[in-house]
Amino acid sequence: MGASPDWGRAADYDDVSGRVAIVGIGETAYTKASGRTAREIGAEAAERAIADAGLEPADVDGLTYNGAFADFDVAAFHEHFGTSHEIWSSPWGGGMSWAGTAPYLAAQAIGAGEARHVLNVFPVAWATQRASMTGGPGEVHAAQSLKQNLEVPFGWFPQPVYFATIMRRHMIEFGTTEEQFGAVAVACRRHANLNPDAVMHGKPMSMADYLASPYLADPLRLFDSCLISDGGAAYVTTSIERARDLPRPPVVVQGVAEGLSGSGTHWSQQADFTSTPQVFSAPAAFGTAGLGPADVDVLTVYDPFTVVSLMQIEDMGFCPKGEAGRFVEGDTLFHDAGKLPFNTHGGLLSHAYVLGIAHVVEVVEQLRGTAAAQVPNCEVGVYGGYTGAHASTLILSRDR
Amino acid sequence: MAITRADFPLPDVDDSLTAGFFAAPARGELCIPRCEECGRWCWYPPETQPPHEARGPAGGRRSRPEEQQVCPACEGPLVWTRTAGRARLFSWAVVQRAFLPAFADMVPFVTALVALEEDPAVRIVTYVVDAVPGSLHGGMPLEVVFRPLRFPTVPDRQVVVPMFRPVA
Ligand SMILES: [Zn+2]
Repeated sequence: MGASPDWGRAADYDDVSGRVAIVGIGETAYTKASGRTAREIGAEAAERAIADAGLEPADVDGLTYNGAFADFDVAAFHEHFGTSHEIWSSPWGGGMSWAGTAPYLAAQAIGAGEARHVLNVFPVAWATQRASMTGGPGEVHAAQSLKQNLEVPFGWFPQPVYFATIMRRHMIEFGTTEEQFGAVAVACRRHANLNPDAVMHGKPMSMADYLASPYLADPLRLFDSCLISDGGAAYVTTSIERARDLPRPPVVVQGVAEGLSGSGTHWSQQADFTSTPQVFSAPAAFGTAGLGPADVDVLTVYDPFTVVSLMQIEDMGFCPKGEAGRFVEGDTLFHDAGKLPFNTHGGLLSHAYVLGIAHVVEVVEQLRGTAAAQVPNCEVGVYGGYTGAHASTLILSRDR
Repeated sequence: MAITRADFPLPDVDDSLTAGFFAAPARGELCIPRCEECGRWCWYPPETQPPHEARGPAGGRRSRPEEQQVCPACEGPLVWTRTAGRARLFSWAVVQRAFLPAFADMVPFVTALVALEEDPAVRIVTYVVDAVPGSLHGGMPLEVVFRPLRFPTVPDRQVVVPMFRPVA
């Protein structure tokens, strides 16, 4: 690798390696439109995570959630559990990129004595809400003036169209083929069919099925794209010392980092159009963990479209830039035979579109040895979070 | 969060950040902001976050001296500057599904990113027209054409915008 690219940077994070662990996880059902509110879903996920950790709601004195949605904040917590104790909180948690960085917030709060047990929650009810959104999940983008004037009028909207052009550019620069994008979709569906909790469980997909799926925006097909779902998950982080007193085997946070793109959400102008801010995040996280891509037994990445998986696999260093298409061919991504077991719960493509929170829970399950599609001898797992503007890298391991 | 503009998804030609882009086609020009000091092309127009009070009664922003946009590199004044209207095809998608009702009659269409000849780091989002999608390839030379943009969901309104076609 040459000099670090200059179109973004790693956020300035302290080294929290080995200080905290994830000790409880909770998930709701993952479904199509459920008619439930995100707040209800968040409460259920929180309840299950707290119980899994062997704690009571009153023990939870830290809460991280996504402030842009604020579906399950401190007020919602107290209302649901009938509690009133003091809770440290941060709106910079939840899902997406922040599903990967919430354990860092927890480590900071715990280190400063602000909290002891920190819950990170992220619920989604977009399947239920979709009908009332302009352009679905693209609504937030459509409201930005530069996109409203320079992109939407020219048909470059919403996300399937952005990522179709990123796919095309990956094909132009690196010779990536449709079948190579398909290999990601097929592997995710294979895993979903081993996971009864996945929305696409019981719906097998072959490469032929992938290639027969319609284009939404050529070269991007329906089966390159994530689902739209209702569901949520939560996890509890505590100090490594405290973790060893709790019932579940601690899953230790070995590294956390965040990468930022200088072009923000203006993907069209990002200098490296076929890269993600993982190029800044992953080296930083691996550095503090004292580990490298070769040490990773399972990888989950935020995968709204197949090309985002290929880009992150490259940018995190699992293969050289431009070679992910060839890398993912065959059984590379399979949980039981592959070189890089990948999105072993089915991912956003075939498990559920709950924006990455279930990806972190899956890594925890894998390291506990309780995953539906269990990777043999799984000791180190990584989550790659992504929003476009941000990426995060969360490196987890079994306790020593 | 909801889009309230009745003419959405037509561009808001009065938005001061991009008004120069939409005014130029009437003169047969493709204009991009350029720094008068260092000569740098600055795209997208850097957001200066004009105060809310600066918005006129119609919701448009009046151009005021304190809103002069400046170069992110040297803080020199930015001026909407004519280009040669040439670009290369950076990437494209053939949109098959109408994600907004306004596009229902237009699909399939080619939306593209084109890299400006003067500075390929300037990528303009546009339509590629007068070309069969199968004939497109990365890096192909393109030239600007000015065509009216109309949506059936916005009756009796149109905006002439830059689109691109293959160089003959
Ligand atoms: Zn300048």
